[in-house]
Amino acid sequence: MVLRSVLLAALLALAWPALAKDRLEVVTTTTDLRSLTEAVGGSRVTVVSLVPPNMDAEEYQPKPQDVVRLKQARLLVRVGLDYDLWLDRLLMQADRPEIGRGGPNYVDASFAVAVLELRGMSVGPGDGHAHGSGNPHYWLDPRNAETITANILEALARIDPANAATYESNRDAFLGRLNAKLTEWETKLAALKSVPMVAYHNSWPYFARRFRLDIVGFIETKPGVPPSPAHLSRIVRDMRTLGARVVVREPHEPERDVGFVASKAGAKVVTLAASVGALPQTDDYISLFDVDVEALTSAVIGQ
Amino acid sequence: MIDAFQFLWPAFLVAVCLVGIHAYFGIMVLARKVVFVDLALAQIAALGATVAFMLGHPAQSIATYGYSLTFTLLAAVLLAFTRTWGTRVPQEALIGVIYVVAAATAILLIDRAPQGAEHLKQILTGNILTSGLNDVAVIVPVYATVGLLHWLLRRWLTGAGSLIWEFVFYATFGIVVTSSVAIAGVLLVFSFLIIPATIGVMFATSQPGQLAIGWIVGTFVSAAGLVASFFLDLPTGATMVCAFGASLAFAGMLYPFLRGNRGQAVYTAIITARWIGAVILAGSALQLAAAPRADQPIIDMVEYAIPSLRTLYFTRAETTTFADASEHAERYRREAEQLNEVERRNRTQGQALDDFSIARISSFLKSYGEMRKGEQFVMGEVRVRARERVRWGASLGLLAFALLIAPVSWRLLWVRAPH
Repeated sequence: MVLRSVLLAALLALAWPALAKDRLEVVTTTTDLRSLTEAVGGSRVTVVSLVPPNMDAEEYQPKPQDVVRLKQARLLVRVGLDYDLWLDRLLMQADRPEIGRGGPNYVDASFAVAVLELRGMSVGPGDGHAHGSGNPHYWLDPRNAETITANILEALARIDPANAATYESNRDAFLGRLNAKLTEWETKLAALKSVPMVAYHNSWPYFARRFRLDIVGFIETKPGVPPSPAHLSRIVRDMRTLGARVVVREPHEPERDVGFVASKAGAKVVTLAASVGALPQTDDYISLFDVDVEALTSAVIGQ
Repeated sequence: MIDAFQFLWPAFLVAVCLVGIHAYFGIMVLARKVVFVDLALAQIAALGATVAFMLGHPAQSIATYGYSLTFTLLAAVLLAFTRTWGTRVPQEALIGVIYVVAAATAILLIDRAPQGAEHLKQILTGNILTSGLNDVAVIVPVYATVGLLHWLLRRWLTGAGSLIWEFVFYATFGIVVTSSVAIAGVLLVFSFLIIPATIGVMFATSQPGQLAIGWIVGTFVSAAGLVASFFLDLPTGATMVCAFGASLAFAGMLYPFLRGNRGQAVYTAIITARWIGAVILAGSALQLAAAPRADQPIIDMVEYAIPSLRTLYFTRAETTTFADASEHAERYRREAEQLNEVERRNRTQGQALDDFSIARISSFLKSYGEMRKGEQFVMGEVRVRARERVRWGASLGLLAFALLIAPVSWRLLWVRAPH
């Protein structure tokens, strides 16, 4: 009996790689790109995200298993724009030029995205980003999914030309669903047009641009540095004069500082997910926006 | 001004409470030679909170506090024992081991939890700026109880006692540190603990005297740090820590004047200052002569403070080029900022820009960035070339100045030379 189950297990272990082989193994840096890659690849791909949901991808510390994942990957999809810089060192360790920068199996999803808040090489004053490549949170504009999935589709079709038609029809179906949802979200958020808000980190310019939201300030001026009292008092003063009644926070951002500002300015804290899986029920790219739109509208209209 | 006061007074109140209890514990900790014990206890408390978090208790619940407290008490037992083990091995070594193991265990635990890292960070990096009256309401009764207990038991708690009194000391200290680290963060709590106590011990021999000096210094420096962080627009905790560091340096310099031969102290101070000045000047002279293209920290600093000094060694053409490049760099920065501002305003006002216009804006921004970088390169190159040109004369001048400052009696050498 024992022998039989051991044999069975051994057989399964032997068969497993073969079973997995006929699916394309894709590694993405974030859960958002995982969701979008799944939308294009459908059942032809298995996708792993290196950063688990609900962790700050900008400060992610890679683990040994991540190198193993990269070594097995057929395709790598990254956010780019200096958002996942830690990936470059990991790629050096993995020693796989084909999935490295410029390699045939490497996708920088930011390619051809219209970038906001570019500041050249200089560090802009108080916008919370220390990189010169522009604001990297571009997936938070659902319209940009069209460009991102196009980048992914192009790579998948190149690696696996036999299934190119499947990938294309998958993408079309996904974009159809997304566009229907987009009109729904736009109608819902129309009520919030030019309602001033404050965010903890500058993650939302693309979101704000698409849905015409007015984010007037940020609590965190530089990543990892606690805000100075002068800055906080400016924020609170601005919030009072402009009548900002909402402070946006992501689940991994400190509750205490956000709560402090909100209570001083008489505003409400809204926790939004900036990535798939950061909040319950944000299981894929579309439900991410469903949850955020719902949280924002109920916070503002519920007042 | 009113703004500043409104923002800072709750933090100041919290700081006064923290100084009150930590200056006392600091004196005890210095006497026991266990300076880093607060870090170990704070880390253990954080480990307890992490375990509670892993078991599904919310961050600020009774259960979490219970876990923290239990872990702290266990650590107190361990620390009480280290005193007896510590005959051959310094106690600090064992405290250090407790600290790193607790920290590493917490990292391993949170690796398995979503959102964990942020949770641990929040326990260990409290922000005194966002603390308030609700924190005061919690810590005042706790600190008062601990203080009263220590006053009643002062016969047994000062100096080396038996195991049970050591345990009481570390347990009460653990309770204090657990709450204070959550409010003010590890760095600031360490400063509250060690620096006022050190200054007290420097200038007084009796414990009440040390405590009084510690309290006065701690309160004053906290206020200074808070005000500085507001007006210099700096993060509060880090500014306060640096203010405490500066106060200790100042006290160290003051010490020989108050506690020794005053004349001798003044003489030594002047000699030291002259030596330091001479060495810095001679060093920059050598740096300028040997590597004119490298950074020149002293010259750069002076130039930053008084930009007009550049005219001393720039030719007219260089001055014009430099000013021109600087003006253009500033213009490109302004243009880029204006474009960013246009885009930002457009998110909510007027007709929304389409992706094509956004792409155009960002390509303009990229060009402005490159152009600005080019101008900055020109500025740097002009300056470096001017320095290369004048390096021999300038470094000889600096060297002569250094020799002038150096406290060596040249006349003596001169007179003796013919013999």
